[in-house]
Amino acid sequence: MAHANLVPKLYKSIIEDVIEGVRELFAEEGLEEQVLKDLKQLWETKVMQSKATEGFFRHSHCSPQFTLQLPHNFHRVLQASAASLVIPAGRGFQHFTAADLGASQAGPTLTLPSGIAYPIHVPAGVTLQTASGHLYKVNVPVMVTQAPGDASILHHPVQQIFQPLGQPSVLQANVASVAQANASSAQAAAETLQPQETAVQQTMVFQPNVMEKNHLENCANTTLVQQPSVSQQQLATNAVLNQHAHSTGKSPQGNLHTAVFTPESSEGFFPAESLANNSSSVLLDVDVEGQLDIEPQESVQQQVSDDIIDLIIMGKSLDDNTVLKDQDTIASSDKVEPTEQMESNLRSEKDICSDIAGIIQLDGTGDVSPKEEIQHTKDKEENEFIGVIEPEDLKVLEDEEDNDEECDSISNTESSSSGDDNEEPQIDIVEEDPLNSGDDVSEQDTPDLFDTDNVIVCQYDKIHRSKNKWKFYLKDGVMSFEGKDHVFAKAIGDAEW
Amino acid sequence: MDADSDVALDILITNVVCVFRTRCHLNLRKIALEGANVIYKRDVGKVLMKLRKPRITATIWSSGRVMCTGATSEEEAKFGARRLARSLQKLGFQVIFTDFKVVNVLAVCNMPFEIRLPEFTKNNRPHASYEPELHPAVCYRIKTLRATLQIFSTGSITVTGPNVKAVASAVEQIYPFVFESRK
Repeated sequence: MAHANLVPKLYKSIIEDVIEGVRELFAEEGLEEQVLKDLKQLWETKVMQSKATEGFFRHSHCSPQFTLQLPHNFHRVLQASAASLVIPAGRGFQHFTAADLGASQAGPTLTLPSGIAYPIHVPAGVTLQTASGHLYKVNVPVMVTQAPGDASILHHPVQQIFQPLGQPSVLQANVASVAQANASSAQAAAETLQPQETAVQQTMVFQPNVMEKNHLENCANTTLVQQPSVSQQQLATNAVLNQHAHSTGKSPQGNLHTAVFTPESSEGFFPAESLANNSSSVLLDVDVEGQLDIEPQESVQQQVSDDIIDLIIMGKSLDDNTVLKDQDTIASSDKVEPTEQMESNLRSEKDICSDIAGIIQLDGTGDVSPKEEIQHTKDKEENEFIGVIEPEDLKVLEDEEDNDEECDSISNTESSSSGDDNEEPQIDIVEEDPLNSGDDVSEQDTPDLFDTDNVIVCQYDKIHRSKNKWKFYLKDGVMSFEGKDHVFAKAIGDAEW
Repeated sequence: MDADSDVALDILITNVVCVFRTRCHLNLRKIALEGANVIYKRDVGKVLMKLRKPRITATIWSSGRVMCTGATSEEEAKFGARRLARSLQKLGFQVIFTDFKVVNVLAVCNMPFEIRLPEFTKNNRPHASYEPELHPAVCYRIKTLRATLQIFSTGSITVTGPNVKAVASAVEQIYPFVFESRK
């Protein structure tokens, strides 16, 4: 259900964009930043409550992965921060209360609500059940971070990065906790969890790493690009990755990175954002160091900036095919490769990027919005006739007004000669009366027919027409109706034309 | 069984189909994007444009051929076709309204009596064909007029012909024969 995962991201991006846009206004008005934060939280809460989309929450974009099964004699007071959208970073973990998990069953089983923000601190003696039904018995207190459930995974680790921009220690703490979890978990199933989590961390690490590197203007230690040209990016990426690979001795992996990112870079998807630093990459390098023993690039390490966020959001370069292909290779590899995770993360970000940049249609081959591209596709699809017509069309467009005037004058003199033959101005064909403008013909009813302000932006399941009766089956949309905005997951409509 | 030569029957024209050419290549995509009330059928390479005023539906091909259906008279058909060509011209194409031709007229007529179809078929052997298992009406073709009539036992007759005149004459021609086999 890629569409379902894209929609919350889209909504999120809309909210983010609006909040960013009014941030300045709020500041000018003298309102505190806290007010803006409250507004954003309120907005997200409303959207969540409207149930227009599932899995819509601030810090995690996966449906609940775990069901906690507490032993019968085990009652621990856990406090949940469910729908409150608390920022996880800065704190070590979250606690849960049985009471707050309202949707879950009473008693020993707790279902983590979708609003849960990772990481989660799981006390000892708890049995975890993932969404897929696997049971993991936790013998030691465990820190559970979000497992890579789907392509949208990157959001969570990305979000984590947002906050601790200046606090690399937090990430370290998370990584450390993951490492601890690694050590503590004895179950094979749990072990599979951990590498995934590790991979997540790594992904989180690498993805901005790549992003940063691709957008770098200056990098002290690497031969990174000055300008975001594709080949340069590719080179830079490869160089960086190779450096990492060499330092860690995991050259195959590094090569994998390289191989992976090659197609990515070739996408040329990175927006022309200039970043003065690859601080986040360095930061994350440090984190990854704990896992992979990669030597950090210390000179870059010092700089951590908000650009990371932009990079992560904007700098998507993967396309779904690449990711899927890579995910296939994941299965074959003996260990969850961070590259693939990176791929998926990058892809998810790319999706966001595309959502933000301008909703790109996922369907319809050959249909592109820019006019220039239209002409290109046209040339491919249609015959050579176009080349002949194009200049004529352009000329018509330019001279349209002149033609109208001419036609008007002609019509006045030939208003009644509907059946007479008249010489055409251009073509030698002697044909019926040229289309008299205005008078008898044309001017279709009320131009643009009561153009309303009610707008719906959505996806469609099915549009059906019988004679002049239309039926609409729509999904995942936002609409502005009579001045109020609404969000819907499904809409059915009837109309008569 | 004298048939009244002056048939005061109401012949209702339900559909007039016409075609015309614009003598210029049409960019269907552009029409689909910028035109009003259009349906783009990309898979078959057509754009349907519906008009409200003369309620007609026009099928537009990229070659410049346009087919208009749904009009209720020949005049209306021409009127609608010109309107359509005008709107295409407004979209920016060098449209020339040429080769306008009404290709089909569909009319309905009701006889005040019912008809015995098997008897009618027997009496009008070469022109009438009747397959009750396939279709409940007798199909009567008038070669000279190039018109086809479908005669139902209820007395309702559907006529299709190249133009309104042919349709009218067809009804007049068939009346005596149908009158013979009335119930």
